Amino acid sequence: MNPKTLFSFFPKWRTLARRALPFLLPATVFALWLYITGTTVTETNVNGETFETPLINPLFLPHPLTVLAGFGELWRDQLWLDFRISTITVLRGYVAGATIGFTTGAACGLSRNVESALAPTFNTLRQVPGLAWLPLLILWFGAGASGKTVLIGLAVFFPVFLNTLQAIRGVGHEYIEVGHIFGYGRLGLLRRIVLPAALPGIFVGLRYGAGVAWAVLVVAEMLGARRGLGFLLMRSQEMMHTNHLFVLIFLIGGVGFSLDYALRRVERHLLRWKRGFEG
Amino acid sequence: MSTQSFSTAATVSIRNLSKTFAATGDAKKNKRSANGDGGIVRALANINLEIAPGSFTVLVGASGCGKTTLLRIIAGLETADADGGFALLDGAPVRGPGPDKGLVFQDHRLLPWLTVAANVGFGLENLPAAEREARVAHYIALVGLNEFADAWPAQLSGGMAQRAAIARAIASRPRILLLDEPLGALDAITRLRLQAELERIWREEQITVVMVTHDVEEALYLGDTVVVLSPRPGHIKHIQPVAIARPRERESAVFQELRRQLLEELELRSHPAGGDTAAYEI
Repeated sequence: MNPKTLFSFFPKWRTLARRALPFLLPATVFALWLYITGTTVTETNVNGETFETPLINPLFLPHPLTVLAGFGELWRDQLWLDFRISTITVLRGYVAGATIGFTTGAACGLSRNVESALAPTFNTLRQVPGLAWLPLLILWFGAGASGKTVLIGLAVFFPVFLNTLQAIRGVGHEYIEVGHIFGYGRLGLLRRIVLPAALPGIFVGLRYGAGVAWAVLVVAEMLGARRGLGFLLMRSQEMMHTNHLFVLIFLIGGVGFSLDYALRRVERHLLRWKRGFEG
Repeated sequence: MSTQSFSTAATVSIRNLSKTFAATGDAKKNKRSANGDGGIVRALANINLEIAPGSFTVLVGASGCGKTTLLRIIAGLETADADGGFALLDGAPVRGPGPDKGLVFQDHRLLPWLTVAANVGFGLENLPAAEREARVAHYIALVGLNEFADAWPAQLSGGMAQRAAIARAIASRPRILLLDEPLGALDAITRLRLQAELERIWREEQITVVMVTHDVEEALYLGDTVVVLSPRPGHIKHIQPVAIARPRERESAVFQELRRQLLEELELRSHPAGGDTAAYEI
């Protein structure tokens, strides 16, 4: 396109507008929040004195600046240590659960015998919601991080296991034949054909598992822990530090987003060959 | 002649080859019509065929005549019946698929997670990197895909994908190139163009080619020999040498006369319409 024509400006405007679109909703909500918490109403008490009072009780909805101050308070109260223990626990549990889920899923996908030996048991255990294991795990491991690592491992294991198994089973015979024609043995077929072909399905499990892991951890910390972001949530509520609740919710959302974003970047890179299909 | 030409184009001998499929089950075996013979389908019966090194042989026949099965047996993807003869490659029985037998399918079967260049180099993993790259570049140039070496298969048109599949099949320097209706899914214009390309590649690479097609004109344009197969059970009905000078003119009288004869062999002339011809859908 000729950059000197008037119309060539329009595509630029359009891309700019499209880039800005995702920020429209959060910006509106934030503006509304600022407005509501910044508005006061005049009330008269029994003595006939008038005074200014916030439209909404700050106990329910604190001003953004109060939330910012709440971050400072939490930080001085060693928020970093709670943040660290939560993220490290979730990463450890995730890596363990995903690794075991992937290997057993792949083994079951590659061998009907292994599947017959393992899959029925796993499918039965899968019916137990992850958090139902928590009381038992606290009994065994205490309220510390190790029990929660196991819990997250369990919660991540099942989606990764199941999706890996399905993905490997779904690899088309026509690609296996291509591997045969070029003389690849079992290991070569696995490395050059089966795993790359199954990767999109495997990533479905990995990303789903990441979301589950973080959710399970935060709830587990709320139910029984002495540290961590979930524990801080419960403590802040009991102490009626609503602004701390907001800080923690932002933080928890941020970690969840970052986990998913990191996985999405890896997926985009590894599955870049698929972009042609998805437009 | 290309300096990278094949010094070892193979002789193929098919000896008393028979193949039966169980009629039930496996949908991948493309023979479905049972012939009432105790639940089995005789896909091929007593096939004998000698294919000279460096020649271009075309198998034609109605669907269900076993031409694809024959090709897959030569490729080593199917085995003949235990007592049903063999396919020999330079005198040695075919024991299974391998890089000495290049195969192009009707669907291109490029691996979608590899670029065109990586697909072409797929069978060359054991070569040193420099040699592999040179080989890949040579074959990509041979099929005219230089500008698409780094493209993903999903970005290619049907014709380009099939060119890449041909390059992949011959990059590992097989002794024989097997083509299973490689142009069957392409539009008419691309098809004519690729027929000429195939002839050029065959000439430059001096390789033994066996091709399956249901297109009589394509068979006559490309083949040194056209083998007509007939179904129930699949057997060789006629072997037609094509002694027309290349490149062949499809409009020439001798071409048209051979075409008429072949269609007759395929019984497309004697049953011009309706009823039975449905079974000879070509």
